[in-house]
Amino acid sequence: MPETPTPAPEEQDPVTSNSYSVIYLVASVLLILTLFWALYDEVYGLRPWKGYQKEFVSRYLAHLKKLKPQEKGAEEEIKKTEGYQELDRAYKSAELEAAPRVKEIDRQVGLIDDRATALTDTFQTRRSEVSAKIYEIEHASARSKVSLEKDLEGIKKEAPSIELPLLDGSGKREKVSYTFEQLEKEFDRLKGMKADLLSQRLETLKQASDLRKKRDQYLEDRMIGLTEQQVNSLISKMEDFKVEIKQINVPEYGIVDRCESCHVGIREPLVLEAKDMGGEKAFTSHPDNELLKIHDPDRFGCTPCHNGNGRATISAERGHGQFEHWLWPMYATKNAESGCVQCHLSDIVLDHADTLNYGREMYWERGCMGCHRYEGYDKEPEQLLAVNQTLRSLEGQKKEDQKQITALEKESENAATNEEARRLLAKAQEIPMKISLLDAQMEQLDMQSKSLLREQKKIGPNLKDVRLKLKKEWIPVWLEQPTAFRPTTKMPNFRLSQEQREAIAAFVWQSGTGTAPPAQPAGDSQSGKELFETRGCLACHSIGEGSDKTGGTFAANLSRVGEKASYDYLVRWVHNPRERTLPYCPYEKKDITAADYAKHGLPYVFDPDHSKCPNDGHELQVQQTTVMPSLRLSWKEAQDIASYLVTQRRPNASYPAAPFMDDPGLKAKGEQYVKFYGCASCHEIAGLEEEGRIGTELTKEGSKPIDNFDFALQTRKARNESWYTAKGFIEHKLQQPEVYDTGMVKAPLEKLRMPNPHLDDQQRSAITTFLIGSVDSSWPKEIFYNPSGQGKDIQEGWWIVRKYNCMGCHQVRLGQRSVLMDLPRYQNPDWREQLPPRLVGEGARVNPQWLEQFLANPALSMTETDRNGVRPYLKARMPTFFFSPDEIRKLVRFFMALSTQAEPYIPQKLEALSPQETQMARELFTSKAAPCLKCHATGELTHDKSATAPNFLLARDRLKPNWTGRWIADPAVISPGTSMPSNLFKVQEGRYVFSGPLPDIFKGYDKDQIALLVRYMFELTPEEQRQLLSRR
Amino acid sequence: MDWQQLWQIASTPDNIPIVALLFLIPFYTWYAFRQARANDRLIGALEGNPELAKTHHRKTLPFKPEWPREVHVWPYLLRIEFLAAIIVTVVLMIWSITLNAPLEEPANPNFTMNPAKAPWYFLGLQEMLVYFDPWMAGVVLPSLILVGLAAIPYMDENPLGAGYYTLKQRKWSIGAFCFGFLVLWLIMIFIGTFIRGPGWMWFWPGQTWDHSRVVFEVNRDLPDFLLITSAWGKGIFGAIVMGVYYGLAGLLVHKVVTLNDFNRKIFKRMSVLQYLTLQFFLITMMLLPLKIFIRHAFRIKYIWITPWFNI
Repeated sequence: MPETPTPAPEEQDPVTSNSYSVIYLVASVLLILTLFWALYDEVYGLRPWKGYQKEFVSRYLAHLKKLKPQEKGAEEEIKKTEGYQELDRAYKSAELEAAPRVKEIDRQVGLIDDRATALTDTFQTRRSEVSAKIYEIEHASARSKVSLEKDLEGIKKEAPSIELPLLDGSGKREKVSYTFEQLEKEFDRLKGMKADLLSQRLETLKQASDLRKKRDQYLEDRMIGLTEQQVNSLISKMEDFKVEIKQINVPEYGIVDRCESCHVGIREPLVLEAKDMGGEKAFTSHPDNELLKIHDPDRFGCTPCHNGNGRATISAERGHGQFEHWLWPMYATKNAESGCVQCHLSDIVLDHADTLNYGREMYWERGCMGCHRYEGYDKEPEQLLAVNQTLRSLEGQKKEDQKQITALEKESENAATNEEARRLLAKAQEIPMKISLLDAQMEQLDMQSKSLLREQKKIGPNLKDVRLKLKKEWIPVWLEQPTAFRPTTKMPNFRLSQEQREAIAAFVWQSGTGTAPPAQPAGDSQSGKELFETRGCLACHSIGEGSDKTGGTFAANLSRVGEKASYDYLVRWVHNPRERTLPYCPYEKKDITAADYAKHGLPYVFDPDHSKCPNDGHELQVQQTTVMPSLRLSWKEAQDIASYLVTQRRPNASYPAAPFMDDPGLKAKGEQYVKFYGCASCHEIAGLEEEGRIGTELTKEGSKPIDNFDFALQTRKARNESWYTAKGFIEHKLQQPEVYDTGMVKAPLEKLRMPNPHLDDQQRSAITTFLIGSVDSSWPKEIFYNPSGQGKDIQEGWWIVRKYNCMGCHQVRLGQRSVLMDLPRYQNPDWREQLPPRLVGEGARVNPQWLEQFLANPALSMTETDRNGVRPYLKARMPTFFFSPDEIRKLVRFFMALSTQAEPYIPQKLEALSPQETQMARELFTSKAAPCLKCHATGELTHDKSATAPNFLLARDRLKPNWTGRWIADPAVISPGTSMPSNLFKVQEGRYVFSGPLPDIFKGYDKDQIALLVRYMFELTPEEQRQLLSRR
Repeated sequence: MDWQQLWQIASTPDNIPIVALLFLIPFYTWYAFRQARANDRLIGALEGNPELAKTHHRKTLPFKPEWPREVHVWPYLLRIEFLAAIIVTVVLMIWSITLNAPLEEPANPNFTMNPAKAPWYFLGLQEMLVYFDPWMAGVVLPSLILVGLAAIPYMDENPLGAGYYTLKQRKWSIGAFCFGFLVLWLIMIFIGTFIRGPGWMWFWPGQTWDHSRVVFEVNRDLPDFLLITSAWGKGIFGAIVMGVYYGLAGLLVHKVVTLNDFNRKIFKRMSVLQYLTLQFFLITMMLLPLKIFIRHAFRIKYIWITPWFNI
């Protein structure tokens, strides 16, 4: 309150005279703006999926409307066809016929509804009153119950009057007064009447609706895309589209995925590509619909496979989990198959996952598993170690027990009482039984050990044989950079100094064992080349450098093998690669020499049938640990092939002398380096047979916390270039393993030792896909793929198929191509018949018992081994793999499971042929129109020269009769391109009849003629076949 | 300079209050001191003019005789408070729209984060763990801080300076506050946020936080320097050192407390209990900067080692 006249403005009291209106205005405007901002954020900013959904609806509708006329045109075409018209007419007439009755029923139902409606209100009111009263009675004290019950009676007796329409359709109404019970009765009566009428209606229309279904099905079966009706229903679905969070919720697995809130089109029934949806990738349908059928999103959600944050809806970045603290960011598109690994841990071959399959193949074939343990890969060495440990402890126990016998006997002699002595003696007598139990157990373990020794394989060659096999000077040159000599080698490039190279070469050379194989006469290299190219070597090996390269990648490229290998050794190797120089005893951990055998007076013989150690009776390793099988070649053929191989060299290839390799002073140092670099992971090396793996285990590599990856000095760079992730680490490591040593000061043996595996981009990406998917999954184990029965058989079988590269020669599954199929030679139609058989459906074709024998001995003969057992006419040879019994079992089960054959196999009983039928079958067999024996082998040498199909005598043991019948009926559907002709038989009156001119004897025969042939084949004896041949 | 990392630290939603603190605290300190100085001038004027002192009620300069002696809360105070409320609301709303809660990954008991930091307001306490053992830094000292803060009104015998900003009349209290809160507490929070990296190692701002950094730093206890090895020796030696420290620091504090007439007047009004309590809290507070100093300058870990606690 100013007491004096207003002073000059600059002297006014700021507290009372300052105006804050401008600040107030600004602050209030800001407040209003933030309020609007907050509202916007609430409605749209934090809910981008709303925009996505609206956009999707408009784009999808446009697409569907564009699609409609096209589909409609296709549909019109079908609708014009006679078949459709006929069904349509039938439907319409049936509908017309039913129409009057339906109309009558509808009228009656309408009347009932009217009456029921008029009744409902009164009835419901009364009913609620009654039930409320009953509730009261139920919960009342005993005393008040009586009066309440009286009340209830009163309520029930009340009968208000109501007006109800009559059921006769006259439109008149009657006035009635019903008690509660009457009301109830009337209501139930109306309900019953209506239900009766409705079921009558359905009955009347049944024929018409069945016909309509048939007609629509006809249309659907013939439409490639969607029918107009389907398109229309999609359009109307979109028109009624509700903008809301679309969520998959699987409570039992804890899955809450809202991915479909933006990816609205992911499950649409038609293929939506980005270009259909105006270039918006988020709106495409799932690229692999088949995969979605197997993994129904309603059961599996999205994130268990793809990763990402299924609950986040505020931005694509959050939803995809691509921010710092989300532990499971979505896999990149090219690594999408990583998501399969966690559940499909034991599948080495997986449908719909080619990248992953390739990654797993690389992990195996490049020998990654040699240093890096991975659950399921190369498990034999560990199992062998465990078996040997158990054996050792059992042996110790046995010795203890034997000692105890004498101890107990002695004790019983000195026992104080007779009883005590008897008790001790009885105890001593029990011990031999215990020992015999131990013996039985050890025997089992020895058998297991035998199996394991046969299954154990190494990626690289046996280095115990270096002195016999290799040119000495070549070794240090090879070690310097294997890819310089052979660009496609599996051996990675190590970063070795000159000194390390020399020491390693010296150690390897000096640790070589054995005496030189016998000298071999020279062979014919020209015939060797032919054999090499036709026997099937190229299914695994390749030859030729650069663009001239042909053959498989499973085994080494042999272009320069002549520069390094000894001829004599090669002959032995080609003749039987499993032939070992010295047997190895894993129990004693040493090579067994002739002297050991002599010491025990045993003949110096070791092979798969003579594999007991002369010193301790345990199992020996009697084979080379290579997967290369024996092709059962004659010595002459082996010499020819070896002669051809030694010509594979560059002219003037020369290697500098390497005197240091004989320097014994380098050996110890060399051994240290060999251990450091883990050479024994891939190679067998004398003295280092039991070396463990030197690398990190990778089974759970994908879920290792990022801080546990040692990026070293690359951390900052990785962060800046945004590859500070497991994926980035692995990709860079695979590209240049020493990258994380850059700038680090380290002693030579502290440096990273992982060698450079020289992979191309695709291989690197595939291995990365495999490894980042290898996680300790947080999803419940029930959703993992752990099949039992045939599913498991298939899983286990693939490991064997991959291990021995069966797919180099055979087609095992649809869509897969064998290496041989793509070789230039087999593009020629004459040679196409020379391709090894396709094994798709093998399980349905052959008898499992026979298959088991065949796999053990593909020659099907103990004496004549230089041949194919089933198809002697094929140049390519089914080799002997020396499978262990367990492997054979798994393979047989695998093929049976692939064709879903029941197990165990019980052969179908065939009716014996009558003499007349035998005669008929003979006639058919030798008829001019189908001279079976012209192509099928018979075992007669002159005839078999031109044979192109298996011997009939094999059929009884080998084939399943049902399959044989199907095969004769149409071989081309089972094996496209087979030389066996189709259409030999035609269907007549529900049975197969020969298409050619029928011999007279068939007059009046009304049974299936294929079945006749099959029965004949399964009765065929060698004499019978000889007779047939003479008839021909 | 690792600018990217510096930006990352400064822009983490967690650290926004600390970055704001860096600007707001100096501003408000300056603002408060400006106000205090203005009041001090008024106090000077009033002391020089007892007549004016009788009639003058408003406590803030500039003062003009023709201005009203009193102003009402409504509207003059409330309009400013309301304006402030609007502005704070706007700031809070923008803050909550733009910055989400700083959630991290689910806790993993097998894997500890590094550096593991407390919320910003506790970083000072966490930093204290470097200088004292967990019992002292985690329990005793925080309790003393709370008790000490609660005890201030009971030790304060200065009747002046309540309800308005002034430096002149409360030099002593303001000095203690500035030292304890601004210097010790806030600097420790700053260190905890910007300086301490992985392994709680000392990284200058801009230095990359390297998880595998190796430094040569050996901390030793004071008795070890003097080759005292027995546990008894260490205990007794430490007790003596601490006793000497408390004695010397007590003398120093007494010197400051009785520095001038005004202070002496207040000192006379204090009871023995009040004075000893004041001494205790001040000396104990001074322990922290002293410990920080000898730790960084001489790499001394503990002075007094006993089986129960270490100082």
